[in-house]
Parts: sequence; C-alpha cells; structure tokens
Amino acid sequence: MNEHGVPQQIENPFATRHVRPGALPYLFSAGENTDELVKRLRNNGWWGQIIGPHGSGKSALLASLAPAIERAGRKTFLVELHDRQRRLPSGFHAGARTNDPLVVIVDGYEQLGRLQRFRLKRFCRRGGLGLLASAHKAAGLPELFQTSANLDVVQQLVERLQAESATKVGAEEVAERFARHGGNVREILFDLYDLYEARRRHA
Amino acid sequence: MTDSLAIIRFDGNGRVYGAGDTLSGEYRFNGVLPAQIKAVEVSVLWYSEGKGDEDMAVHEFWRSGPDEGERIDPSRPAQFTTTLPNCPLSYEGLIVKIRWCVRVRAILHRGKDVVAQKSFRLGGVPAVEVSAS
Amino acid sequence: MARNFRYYGKKRGDRRTGSRMLGSVGEMIFYAAFLLLGCVSGAMLFSFIAIPQWRVNNEFVRSTCVVLEKRINETADDDGPQYRPEFRIRYEIDEVTYLAWTYDIHMSHSGSRENAQQILARFAVTEDPNDPIDYYCWYDPTSPEKAVLVRGTSWWIWLVFIVPASFVLIGGGGLIYSVLRWGKSAERRAAMVQHAIQRDLFDANGKTTREFPNVPNGVDITNSPGTTLAYRLPIGASPAWKLLVVLLACVLWNGIVSVFVVIAVGGHLEGHPDWGLSVFLLPFMAVGIALVVFLVRQLMVTTGVGPTTIEISDHPLLPGKQYELLVSQSGRLRVNSLCVSLVCNEQATYRQGTDTRRETRLVHRREIYRREGFEVGRGLPFEARCNLTAPEAAMHSFKADHNEIQWQVVVAGNAAGWGDFQRSFPVILRPAAGNNNT
Repeated sequence: MNEHGVPQQIENPFATRHVRPGALPYLFSAGENTDELVKRLRNNGWWGQIIGPHGSGKSALLASLAPAIERAGRKTFLVELHDRQRRLPSGFHAGARTNDPLVVIVDGYEQLGRLQRFRLKRFCRRGGLGLLASAHKAAGLPELFQTSANLDVVQQLVERLQAESATKVGAEEVAERFARHGGNVREILFDLYDLYEARRRHA
Repeated sequence: MTDSLAIIRFDGNGRVYGAGDTLSGEYRFNGVLPAQIKAVEVSVLWYSEGKGDEDMAVHEFWRSGPDEGERIDPSRPAQFTTTLPNCPLSYEGLIVKIRWCVRVRAILHRGKDVVAQKSFRLGGVPAVEVSAS
Repeated sequence: MARNFRYYGKKRGDRRTGSRMLGSVGEMIFYAAFLLLGCVSGAMLFSFIAIPQWRVNNEFVRSTCVVLEKRINETADDDGPQYRPEFRIRYEIDEVTYLAWTYDIHMSHSGSRENAQQILARFAVTEDPNDPIDYYCWYDPTSPEKAVLVRGTSWWIWLVFIVPASFVLIGGGGLIYSVLRWGKSAERRAAMVQHAIQRDLFDANGKTTREFPNVPNGVDITNSPGTTLAYRLPIGASPAWKLLVVLLACVLWNGIVSVFVVIAVGGHLEGHPDWGLSVFLLPFMAVGIALVVFLVRQLMVTTGVGPTTIEISDHPLLPGKQYELLVSQSGRLRVNSLCVSLVCNEQATYRQGTDTRRETRLVHRREIYRREGFEVGRGLPFEARCNLTAPEAAMHSFKADHNEIQWQVVVAGNAAGWGDFQRSFPVILRPAAGNNNT
C-alpha cells in the first residue's frame, strides 16, 4: 500500500505483455543460435519450416529470427494466422510485392488450405521470395528447426522474467508445472502468473 | 540520443484521483534539442494487463510541435490538464488489471521516439483477494 | 536494432518494434486498387449505359417511320439463350431515306422469349406501301442513321452502378482511413477511434456510452419489464440451447448408427450374420444409447426443474444501493436447497498463433438468499423476495475487446431426483458518476 492507503500497482512478470512472442528473445539449448539458423535458411534458398507442438516457442523463435534475417540482408513480411483462418489476409499480395529481397514469414502455416498453400508457394517462387513457416507438423518445406520442451530453457526463461521482481517463483515449482503441462511453455507461464499473483498478495 | 529521456510530474504527486477530478502536471525532455523534434504527443490513457490480450483507450490526447505550427523547447516544462472520466476505474484483479497513465512521446525527425509514462490511480477499488468471499 | 517490415503492427511487450510503413503502403495500394477499379468500371458503365439513354431522351429528334420487318434476335449465352426484339424501320430526314434495324438505344438481350414476342406484337409491319402504318421514332441529329423506336428511362440502369459504387466506397474509405493512420502513434490512432465512437449518430444510448465508457449499457435488461418489479433479468445461457445441442448430437449419431444396425440385424434374420459388423457396431450403439439417456435426462431436468425468473426493482446497479429481487422457480419438484448469489467474474481472452484461450475467474461471491427443503407444485411457482445491496467499493462492470468484468445474479439449486442446476442472470454494476471511491 502507498501512503494514501491504496494498493500498489505491481507488475506480474508473467502477464501476457511480458511473455508474448517477441517480448523475450528465444532461448536455445546449447549450440544453437539465430545466426546459425539464418545461415541454414540461406543455404536452403531462404525456404524453411519450424515445427513443434503447442506452446513450444515457435512464434517466439520466428520473432527472434526476423531481426537476424534482416541483418543478413533480407527484409521480412510477417503473417499471423489464427484459429480457423484458412486464407491469407486481404492485401497480402499487394504488401508482399517488392523489388527488395524478402522473406515471407507465416506463423500458423497449417491453418491455410491446400490451395492457399500452393498459391503462396507459387507466389513466393515466382517472386524470388523466401518462405519461412511455423507449423505443428511437417508442411512440405525444408526443415529448419524443431522446437521442443526443455526444462532448463524454461527455468532460464522464468529467471529472466522475474529478475527484477521482489516475489519469486522457485525452480521446483517451475519443474512441477513443466511436468504437469507436458512442456507447453504457454500453459506453464499462465500457471506461473496465477502462482505469482497469489504469492505477492499474501506477501 | 542514449541520454534522452522524458520526465513527467503530477501536481499533488502520487495521490489517488477520483472520477471527475482534475489531473494536471507537467513534462519535459532531457537530452533532446528543439531542432530534433518533429512533434510531441501527450496522452492520458488506460490499458489492460493480465492474462488476456491488451486493450487500450485514450481519454485525452494532445499533439504539438513544428508540424502543428508551434515552436517547442523540450527542456522547458510544459503543462497538461484534464478532467478524468467516471470509468474505467483502476483495478487490480486476478487475471484482468486496468492501469491508468500519462504517456508522453517526442517524435523525432530521425531516430527512435523518446517515450515515458507515469501511472496514477483512478478510484480506490481495492485489490481482489485470491480466494473470493 | 534492425527493424522488421510487418504487415500487422504488433506490440512486443512494452516496446513497439518494426516499421509500420511498408504495411501501411501495402494497405493503401490494396484500397487504391479497389478505388481505381470502382472508378474505371463506374465510368465505363456511365458512358456505355447512362449517357446514351440521356441523349435519347434529351437530344434525339423525333420523326416518323414505318416498320418493314421484325424479328427476334437469338444468341447463346452461359445463362442460356438470350432474346432481343428488332425492327427494320424506314424513315426520312431532309429527303434522305434511312433504313435501320433497331428497337431501343441499348439493344440489350433478355432471357425471356415471351417478353420479346410481346414487344414485337406492339408494332405492325407495313404490308401495303400505299397504306403505311406510321410510328414515331427518334434519331441522333449528329448521326441520323442511328434511330430508336422507344425511349424512356430503365430503372435497372441504376442497379448496375451498385457494384462499382461499392468498390469506390470500400477503396475510397479504406484509402482515407489508411492515410489518416499513416505514421500515427498508437496513442493518436486510439484517440481517433475514441472520437469516432463518440460521434456515433446511431447509438441510441450515446449519452450513457460517453458518460460511462466501457461499461455495457444494459439496454437488453431495461427493455424487459417485469410483472411485479421494474425489470425482468434475461437469463445468461438458456438451458434450451444445451438441450438442442444434445438433441442434434443424438439424432445425428443414432441416425448414422441405425443404418448399419439395420444392415447387421437384417443379415442375422436372413441367416447370413455378419459377426464382424455386429461386434464392430457394439461400442457405437453403446454411445448412441448413452446419448439418448442423457437427452432424456436433460429433457426431464429442463422441463421438470422449470424456468427460473428474477425481477429487480431497478437497474443498472449503483455502488452501495439496495435493490429488491423477486425470485421465481417453476416446476414440480422437491427442492433440497436454493441459493441466490451476486457473483463477479473476470474474463480474459488471449490469441497467439493458432490458439485462442479464454479464461474466466471468480473474484466476488456474496450470498443474497438461501432456502432449504421446500416443494414446488405444478402451476404454483415458488416465489421469494430478497434484498440485494450492490457492493460499495467493488469494481464496476467492464467490457473491452479482450477483457471483461461481468456481474451476475446466480441461482443455484439442488432438487431431489434432478441433482444440481444453476441459472445465471447478467446485471450491470455502474460506477457512481463523479464519485470518489477513496
């Protein structure tokens, strides 16, 4: 409480604004980094796919890769497809037409229907554009990376998020939630939000 | 530019405001030259936080600067004042929180905007307890 | 830090990365294309349809003619055969004789042969040159060889402009919107949206909306008068919908399974049993029977427990004020317990990637009324009056695109033989205007 007797506004480090893709850099296991992936992507002619289960960090990895692709000399064009969105958004073709080297990034590629996927590939091939997609299973593009659950990485992520918080969540609590949610990082972080909220209110 | 920052101060610093109260204060910029400024925007807004996607709404908005035909000295304090609305009140919920703030933004001809915000409370809704009564 | 080109400006935590410029350019190109298409097609339609008709009605000169021949011009089209009446006319202008096949200025086809025949029947062919049958015709003074037998305005002319007009509206509106948003900060765009909402001329509750932004106006509650108290609260989710869903599932499942069951049974009766099919069908039949049992139970609960209604003395609720409730429970049942509570839930919706996640959390519950061990007779609903005091310092109702704070009156009961049931009635808790809650 402040001197006026009302509750302080304390940030929960696990609120969506802190954990959504792009808010934090993607944390790799040892031996991998974004520049290595970009090198691999370039060797594949700037075409690739990132596969992984729900909540394993595909969107976060795309958000981290985009600036690395830019540094490598290619512009990026991001398309986010949500649940049941079977078509590319209107204006996509107009927006993606450019004389500059470009990589189209599609988050949620498997949402597209077969015909839409065919048209997208053809559009990118004809325009000399790169295509980087995220999906839950193989989508017919050269495999770039497979995201997967890793407890150490999740522990690191949690440490970064709560670095400046007075209230902390312990490593064993993270491990318990990791096991309960089968490595789904999104669900783990939502769960930690509730734990943090309960803990700081009783502190 | 790494030294640029914006400073906001409220009159009656830190007090809780009620619906219909006057929120006033001043802002200034350090490390920003007048020639660098394209425009200055001041907003009184609320935003949500929690487990949902963020919502935001602007209650009051001012824009000034050379592209509005005004000369600005960013190092000199500039005033703002507004009458606060009835709602939404500041709220510390479990999965939904509502926060009010004043946000100032200096839009420069080159380089990144200089942005700062200062929070305040509207209303005195108590924080929600973790277990409901 | 290098910037990305993003189609959708995306907020990353508390900083905004990426340039919106190319996204805005793409958007503007898209709308400009719509606008151009609308303008070009509109201009073409105007010049080929509207202008000629205007010239016939205002510039063509009247003369007389005779009809020498008439016919129906038939063409094939994707929609089928198309017909057009045509007349060969002879007319004189300044001692020069002209011959022309004509009818109206558009010479358009239609799908009806009967219509064409009727038009043909209106004009008689001159058989005897010494006894001509004269008709009026109108010729173009700038090119006299062009003439028509009829003139006037066709109403369908204006319908064809709907399509180019819609393209112009979409393209023009989108382009203006994109230009206005060009290079604007998030706060400035949000402020523009707020001003647009406040100028909404069609919002009947405009004053309320402006006075209490993001608080639902509750018009669907105050539109429903009660029989005893001022308003009847609408139910949040009618049990009839749940019943309908179960019924559809039951009919669909059992309908499909029954086809195979008939085949299997028929085989047994004819002495050629298909044991593979029979065994395979067993689990499906079990599910079908379970669905029927569930449906019957839901039906009995819904009709047996009967509707619950709540009337309230005033609405919306204001902090600290007291309201009278009239709770009515129908049916024919023995109620073990009935509890009426004021409840508040937070609801947060999060979309990321292909996942949409909605979470609801209870943050306030206060029991208003409780009664145990009573009977409800058929045709004689149980009624109870109680008082509800709106919390003094609780958060008001709130609704935004992704986050909500919902207040409800909840009736929860347990009936002998029927089990638990619950009905929810949304209410609006408004903040006190100009009230300092501190």
